[in-house]
Amino acid sequence: MTSTLLSRNINVSRCIAEGISQEMERDASIVVLGEDVGHQGGVFGATRGLQKTFGSDRVRDMPISEMAFTGMGVGLAMAGKRPIVEVMFVDFIGVCLEQIYNAAAKNHYMSGGTVRMPIVYKTAGGNIGSAAQHSQCLWGLFAHLPGLKVVAPWSPHDAKGLMAGAIRSDDPVVFIEHKGLLLKKTSDFAVGGDVPRDPYEVEIGTAAVVRTGTDITLVTISATVGQALTAAGQLAADGIDVEVIDLRSLVPLDTATVAKSVEATGRLLVVDEDYLGFGMSGEVITSVLEVVGPQALRGVARHGVDNVPIPAAKTLEDAVMPSVSSIADAARSLVSIS
Amino acid sequence: MPLSPLQRHEVALQVRHFELACLEGAKSGDIHGELHLAIGHEAVAAGMAGTLRVDDSVVSTHRNHGHALAKGVDSYRLMAEIFERATGLCGGFGGHMHIFDQHHNFSTTGIVGASLPVALGQAYAAMLDDVDSVAVAAVGDGGVNTGAFHETLNLAGALKLPFVVVVENNNWAISVPSETVSAAGPAERSAAYGVWQQRVDGTDAEIVGAAFGQAVDHARAGNGPAVLEATCARFRGHYEGDPQTYRSEDERRSLLDRDPIVLGRARLLANGTAADAELDAMEKAATDQAQALLVRVRQDPMPAMDRAFDHVFTTSNLKATT
Repeated sequence: MTSTLLSRNINVSRCIAEGISQEMERDASIVVLGEDVGHQGGVFGATRGLQKTFGSDRVRDMPISEMAFTGMGVGLAMAGKRPIVEVMFVDFIGVCLEQIYNAAAKNHYMSGGTVRMPIVYKTAGGNIGSAAQHSQCLWGLFAHLPGLKVVAPWSPHDAKGLMAGAIRSDDPVVFIEHKGLLLKKTSDFAVGGDVPRDPYEVEIGTAAVVRTGTDITLVTISATVGQALTAAGQLAADGIDVEVIDLRSLVPLDTATVAKSVEATGRLLVVDEDYLGFGMSGEVITSVLEVVGPQALRGVARHGVDNVPIPAAKTLEDAVMPSVSSIADAARSLVSIS
Repeated sequence: MPLSPLQRHEVALQVRHFELACLEGAKSGDIHGELHLAIGHEAVAAGMAGTLRVDDSVVSTHRNHGHALAKGVDSYRLMAEIFERATGLCGGFGGHMHIFDQHHNFSTTGIVGASLPVALGQAYAAMLDDVDSVAVAAVGDGGVNTGAFHETLNLAGALKLPFVVVVENNNWAISVPSETVSAAGPAERSAAYGVWQQRVDGTDAEIVGAAFGQAVDHARAGNGPAVLEATCARFRGHYEGDPQTYRSEDERRSLLDRDPIVLGRARLLANGTAADAELDAMEKAATDQAQALLVRVRQDPMPAMDRAFDHVFTTSNLKATT
């Protein structure tokens, strides 16, 4: 039996912790700061074992002082370290965005390229039924701000490899895990569930075609990649062949991969668990149009959270969040009219 | 070696005349954005000068020129950056509020209170590396009312980090007098965190120098953070062009009694450290030096327009949508 050697059934947060641990082993300048990252190993376990292995100086539990410790990341980077700063939930960014968007994102530019900011702001986003202040994605917010790379993995393979890529980046990276994926097992993933034990890096800025198809290009990121794949399976039964692209990062945005797909299918649907307005969907559609031209598109549509806070009651939440059935409906609708 | 009283006076004069040269740049439009001058604050910079090592860091504020000069930042490249020139410390990408000099471990932020967390990170790095460097954050009395002041002092105290805060208390947060919005003074509030703290007359470079030396020694010796509050007067508006409608004529007149240059000169004369002629020559040298810098930076080129997209990322011209 080789299966015990080749495949293992671990959860996504462990994949991330393994990625961080292997990088910390390789590079002594890596430091982890955040709430509950040390003794507890993170509220989702994504820093598990790190403090035991590397000690409490390199893996430090922080008080609930996000303004202080997000800025410590900036100071540590200036001093030649490579900090990983965890903001537990992305929703909490409101109390400490300042250091991320005014210092980490801009210091390289403002210094005329003399200062480097190799910081990973690691956080968890996405809906877990916890309503308006604990179920947001916000990747569109970060992507709007110049100077930040914005990464949001879906598959376990990418979660580990993109974390390695983020840590090795000399630019600041906002790394948004999905709360709803972190405790899933690798076996829950139809694609990307094989996570090598050895260190590896997934290059930031390349989208992944996770399902090939000919009728419509469905572009999304993070947990909705899984929902889109399920929807694509259902649509196949209706004779609609969906190509699903996982962007993996919003900055850099791999427009080329999406444009190539759209040129073949002629239809583009962007699905986003983040707010629709002024966000990922508008940016992807515009960027692709600028490359392929409007004549290359038979139809274009977007489907996401239509600029409403996330409600608490399940019935209300279902009304605003993309789901497998709503994604399938959006694709069917686009194909039927174009 | 701590600076002598005469050397401190010389630094104060250099800062004053550097600022006056910058003022000319604002009036002529060479500096086309906001400019915040430290005229009235010179004795704080002069008190800080000579104490820190190159490996110590300073993170300063929007009113940073004096701190930069005190840390040893090159005055020509500093003025060139303030004047938005390609020859500036940051090639004209930063401007006067965003000064970065990696070699001297000097940086600034234009956001009030935001200097503190950055310096805290540098203090943490010193602890990680097991070296005796200290990290200094400058703030004003306005910055003391940010959450960052309290978060960083708490954390620095808990971890006993080599973190020194210099509060330049000029009693104005733009137009709001400090005492009308503060429950207690900066030093009193610092005391609640169990840190070394002291309030001194920030118009006297000697007094500031002695206290800053103690604060740095305290932090360097591993005793945890220190807060030095230096009271001073902001002679100009918050920014150049500020109509200062919030200031009374009486207050403006009273500023003249708190001019650190006048007071410093009087002290040196009174205690026989220097004579009029020597002090006149020192002042003339400071004027000439600043004016020569002004002439030089005005001849320097502006950054080329095609460089505007450089440095967003470390990889060349990587933009969000490419």
